[in-house]
Amino acid sequence: MSIEQIRQAMVAAMFALLALPGLCNEKAEPDPARSQYWPPIRQMMFGERPIEDGRDVLRIYLNTRADDASTVPVAVKAQIDQSDGRYIKTVFLIVERNPSPAAGVFHFTPDSGRVQVETRLRFEDFSFVRAVAELNDGKLYEATRWVKAAGGCSAPGGKFRIPENMIGQMKFKFWDDTVEAAKPALVQLMIRHPNESALAADFDPTRTPRFVRSVKVSYAGKTVLTADVDFSLSDNPSFRFFFVPGQQGELEAVVEDTHDKVYVHRATIVEGVPLPGG
Amino acid sequence: MGFNNQRIALAALLLALAGGLAQAQGFSLREVAPGNFVHVGSLEERSPANGGDQANVGFIVGSRCVAVIDVGGSLPVGQSLRAALRRVTDKPVCYVILTHMHPDHVFGAEAFRAEGAEVVSHGNLPAALAQRLRTYLGALRRDLGDLADGAGIAPVTIAVDVDQERVLDLGERRLRLRAWPVAHTDNDLTVLDEATGTLWLGDLLFVDHTPVVDGSITGFLKVMDALAAIPARAFVPGHGWTATAWPAALAPQRDYLAMVVRDTRAALRARRTMEEAVDTVGASAAPNWTNFDAFHRRNVTAAYAELEWE
Repeated sequence: MSIEQIRQAMVAAMFALLALPGLCNEKAEPDPARSQYWPPIRQMMFGERPIEDGRDVLRIYLNTRADDASTVPVAVKAQIDQSDGRYIKTVFLIVERNPSPAAGVFHFTPDSGRVQVETRLRFEDFSFVRAVAELNDGKLYEATRWVKAAGGCSAPGGKFRIPENMIGQMKFKFWDDTVEAAKPALVQLMIRHPNESALAADFDPTRTPRFVRSVKVSYAGKTVLTADVDFSLSDNPSFRFFFVPGQQGELEAVVEDTHDKVYVHRATIVEGVPLPGG
Repeated sequence: MGFNNQRIALAALLLALAGGLAQAQGFSLREVAPGNFVHVGSLEERSPANGGDQANVGFIVGSRCVAVIDVGGSLPVGQSLRAALRRVTDKPVCYVILTHMHPDHVFGAEAFRAEGAEVVSHGNLPAALAQRLRTYLGALRRDLGDLADGAGIAPVTIAVDVDQERVLDLGERRLRLRAWPVAHTDNDLTVLDEATGTLWLGDLLFVDHTPVVDGSITGFLKVMDALAAIPARAFVPGHGWTATAWPAALAPQRDYLAMVVRDTRAALRARRTMEEAVDTVGASAAPNWTNFDAFHRRNVTAAYAELEWE
């Protein structure tokens, strides 16, 4: 099932879910196995397939008490190496209490280097975050974290309106001064975009909310990361991940939003040469 | 206890009783300049005990009519403000001016509906508030319970576009309104009473209460520089109160915001992540401000998301 289908089904069921009691008054962390939000999402996304405890496969890193519900940094890091024999094919990132809970579906290959993706999430209510990894053998593994943050989805798509001519601006930010061939390098992709939430209080339901729906990153023509994403991501979506450079190659990001606008950003990366800014 | 001591104790008791009565009547007001009346809100977080009385609110009286500046964070606060206003003057309220979209400044609007006043704001306020309204009302209900009843917004009838000024005449008293570029929010409006040189700042100035960035931290600093050039003789911050003169009273907030910008830029240069920056930047400023835990880390998050594009 695609993230788009999940979103449509979930947004349709949103009002029923919103009728469930809010979690904001819960003081202690609830039991993730007893969450009433998870079973319908799990059923829709994974059917009856078993999901195993994923602590040896992937972990979620985030602050349990979030400071800003519209910008909650989260990292999902693999605990296994990508190899041709065994690798993480897909990571599903789910904010189960969000009206559109599937925040992102990230696809990887054996060439992805280290599987690690960091992004920023919106939280509508106190919620479990679940990361489910699907391995190349089809097995599913899950990691779960509880987050106390609320109001981030119905909060607006930004602190101020982004002018049209700035939407789609992108920047690669590298974590090293130079790259070394064959050594995984960390890069942040920043996208200037309102990533409008369909849940903002003044949202006109006859209009398609404008948010980033897919991100594809390649290096020297080979896929590094593809992601189907959603307005559960913060405005100005940000992704940090590894790629494996060669001696020279072009890093390219192609971003598409729900208004069918496509934005492309490229940077040429040469071993030992200081990395380009912006 | 001697006779004098007894007298002093009795006087103290009477004063305390009078204070209690004044409180029972609702609301403290101070006349900060002739015709400029301010109620200073609580620096504590919103709770049923303070009923949403966080923001500084007030009014300016002209020879013809009155302008209210911000209406408080709940209907009861708006009602208290209106009752206090009516103890000062019988003149009609011709303008309700909203300094920006935040709940603690706007949600008492219903109390003034019967006045039939023009509602004046920055041009960006209606959209900004509409987007956030459901979240704001939900949080108000969660914090105040029944005291949230009747909270709501008033339709804006006079919008001042960004970087523009507008003069309102209350009769022998002109108010000069200015709509600022993105700073504390994207819809900050100041009011200058020309007769007395009193500058009403909304949340472009926090005193003692941790400054809040819900717009742009670099924009906030730029707007503060422009504010400092206004030769105000008196001023009204959005929160807190100080005896320090204008424009020296801007310094603590400017130092705080400049420190957050400087240290967040340093964290970005050192390639710290957003979480690492939030954990390290500016924590030593905590003793200078109230509500630091509730707002400082959010400010650093916002600063990081803004400055990482530089």
